Amino acid sequence: MDAVFLAELERIVGPDGLVRDAGDLLTYESDALVRLRERPAAAVLPDTVDQVQQVVRLCHRSKVPFVARGSGTGLSGGALPHPDGVLIVLTRLNRVLDIDIPNQRITVEPGVTNLEVTRRVASSGYYYAPDPSSQVICSIGGNVAENSGGAHCLKYGFTVHHVLGVEVVLPDGELAHLGGEALDSPGLDLLGVIVGSEGTLAVVTKVTLRLVRRPEAVQMLLVAFDSTDAAGNAVSDIISAGIIPAAIEMMDRTTIRAAEAAVHPGFPDAEAVLIVELDGPRSEVVALFARVEAVCARNNGWGVQVARDEAQRGRIWMGRKAAFAAMGRIAPNYYVQDGVIPRSKLPEVLRRIRQLEIESGLTIGNVFHAGDGNLHPLVCYDAAVDGQADLAEQVATEILTYCLDVGGSLTGEHGIGADKACHMPKMFTTADLETMQLVRAAFDPDQICNPDKLFPTPRLCGEVPGPYRAHPAEIAGLIDRV
Amino acid sequence: MTSRSSSLDAVVAEVEARAGAGLARPGVAADAIDGIVPGIVAQPPTPVALATTLAWATETGRTVVVRGGGTKLGWGASPGSVDLLLSTTAMNAVVEHRHGDLTATVQAGATLAETNAVLSRHRQWLPLDPPWSDRATIGGIVAANDSGPRRQRHGTPRDLIIGMTLARADGLMAKTGGIVVKNVAGYDLARLLTGSFGCLGVILTATFKLAPLSEASRTVSVAFPASARCGPLVADLLAHASTPSALELATPPATMLIRFESVEAVAVEQAEHAATLARDHGGTPVVLTGEDETAAWRGHDARVFDREGTILKLTIMPADLSSTLAWLDDVATARQLDYVVTGRAGLGVLFVGLHGVVSEQATFVTALRERLPVGRGSATIQRADPELKALVDVWGPVGDGLRIMQEVKRRFDPTGTLNPGRGPGGL
Repeated sequence: MDAVFLAELERIVGPDGLVRDAGDLLTYESDALVRLRERPAAAVLPDTVDQVQQVVRLCHRSKVPFVARGSGTGLSGGALPHPDGVLIVLTRLNRVLDIDIPNQRITVEPGVTNLEVTRRVASSGYYYAPDPSSQVICSIGGNVAENSGGAHCLKYGFTVHHVLGVEVVLPDGELAHLGGEALDSPGLDLLGVIVGSEGTLAVVTKVTLRLVRRPEAVQMLLVAFDSTDAAGNAVSDIISAGIIPAAIEMMDRTTIRAAEAAVHPGFPDAEAVLIVELDGPRSEVVALFARVEAVCARNNGWGVQVARDEAQRGRIWMGRKAAFAAMGRIAPNYYVQDGVIPRSKLPEVLRRIRQLEIESGLTIGNVFHAGDGNLHPLVCYDAAVDGQADLAEQVATEILTYCLDVGGSLTGEHGIGADKACHMPKMFTTADLETMQLVRAAFDPDQICNPDKLFPTPRLCGEVPGPYRAHPAEIAGLIDRV
Repeated sequence: MTSRSSSLDAVVAEVEARAGAGLARPGVAADAIDGIVPGIVAQPPTPVALATTLAWATETGRTVVVRGGGTKLGWGASPGSVDLLLSTTAMNAVVEHRHGDLTATVQAGATLAETNAVLSRHRQWLPLDPPWSDRATIGGIVAANDSGPRRQRHGTPRDLIIGMTLARADGLMAKTGGIVVKNVAGYDLARLLTGSFGCLGVILTATFKLAPLSEASRTVSVAFPASARCGPLVADLLAHASTPSALELATPPATMLIRFESVEAVAVEQAEHAATLARDHGGTPVVLTGEDETAAWRGHDARVFDREGTILKLTIMPADLSSTLAWLDDVATARQLDYVVTGRAGLGVLFVGLHGVVSEQATFVTALRERLPVGRGSATIQRADPELKALVDVWGPVGDGLRIMQEVKRRFDPTGTLNPGRGPGGL
């Protein structure tokens, strides 16, 4: 990066907004996927939308790549900097711009944290529904980029269901407003594509979110099972009974023990536990709760703990949310993926993972959003042992293959990023990917906006497969590529 | 046989070679869109046949409109020409109902009613209730992102779609999303195609998350002395723990239909609570169930959608409901326009049926748009005589996102084959 370019950056964001010393840039070398690191040529911390625009315009003029970053909690390397590019850190754009309770909306800058949104409207009886486990620190801009989920998506959906409108800086530096405060703005649903585009289409500078009324009642139970099969069947039976809980989480023996050792939530020593939370009108919650208890009993659930108050609920959620960090007590390192499977396939896939654990010799903990079929296998390893890190990565990749075998997805909420870009051809054909690239080309013909993410490239993945040809079954008109 | 008809025969043969024998014919008056009769109508039996026919049209520079049940063909600007009308109705299978997963994959040409009849065998449904659901197809409903009263609880196709296969203008078939309810792998092209009005590609199949059929339903029908009473009741209901599955208004005369679906005891309890609130707001409530309830909803739908004349879709900030209703009444009365409004009182999505002198209607639409800054509301024409469409843009302003929308259109359909000029912003 030449001195003139850097001077220009400094003119835009001021000396206080430009980071260019190697030591200071260390902070920004990775997001929460620390395995992937890259030092950006420079990082900027703009204070205003106008500064973001000027920086992007400058990059566009000089064809310099840029990557937007929020709090850096992403788990797929989506905010991994480009070595020759500018990292645009949006943490200073952290103003709440408008709270509109009568219309159940809030408009914020991208650096506002997820939990801050709820904090600002809680006194009016509202909250912001998507709740990724990093919600204390993760930013709304990052949530939009990744289409973040959380434990309660089963009933309430993902970020895409809660973002009404965005202001973005396009890769040429121009502003665009997509969606809006009112519903159904005329035009193509570009908002629906921006959400979850992993920062590859534009830089989001303003977000209008939908607020949700706090439910009248919340009830939660924790129930133990003697096998993950039994717990998996209970999940299917709850859904089949026509009940959509706010959340259904599953933990297996490994993660239960880890959580117990770390924060003592009082979980039973079992092969699996389910945490089921129902919310809604009080009488509905009471009626459905009894049915959930009956389904669990039919599947030989035991050790039922019903959270009687907020404190007990908090304790159980703490146990669940501590599971990741608690794995540190079991192994020095772990590798996590978040593949998705149809929820009816839970018992089958969990058995395959158990078999893989035996074959590989690596401990694999499972803690996940069972209601959505969104797995989070934690493959434990010791980086100090030669070859274990590579083995862990292979094992995690093998689990993703299981997910795709049963019609699932590479990722439910962490995103593809730099982490899984090379796996995309396993899930999508060249035609599928090329069609996605049409969108990319429309927004960013120069490929300067978070390049080398999401899509496989020869640089990242070696040679990519040749052009897709229709399978004979497809030519016969059978649609089995869904 | 004239030379013109023999050349037409040749084209029909060309289409039949791709779509299938006996599956193409010259267009007739009944196929007309805003008076424009399509050159050829083809009904390919498979996605591959459709994609192949579409690729031929693109290569030979023909314009294409896609038709499902034909319930919404009048939406959008009048077409300049329609060389080929592609019907999806021969592709009408519910491909797979994964009831244990609460998802289903459906071909574009299946009607919503057929689809839900299949899904109901496992007490599930695709929770959409747009107008004309006996004829409207999955492809058309998704392409228009259409929904009905129960949007209040279940949202629109955009909220339910989890995967799609599509044919591009160049005939390439592509997949987006998948069959699982949670999935962030790749760009969400299913949402991009949802509501794209056939401008970007042809939807072949769509995969949705479903909802369980509810055990019990009650609807509170409320008559009000004036529409101004509706807004405060809506605010009051939503501020309480009330969770209606539909929250509709209609005026004139001012009425509301508030539906509760849950287990029996809860539906009854919430309906009674809503009836009490309605009385507090000066309304006269009746709690309906069974056939009376079904009839009330059928009548509600018919108020705008089964009558002749213009249909406007109006979106507003939900809290502006009362002031908007007052404005509509004032302006319609002043312009001697006969009108009826129905819609989602809790969401700010209204449908206005309009009758009267066309120039007065045009003025009405223009004045309405002046009240609604881009992003804070919109007024789009869903159905109108070509005469009105010639006087006012059917979509209204799209805002500064238009440039990038045009660019997306250009990338997907560089030859302008698909529904050219009819979409928002003239896409």
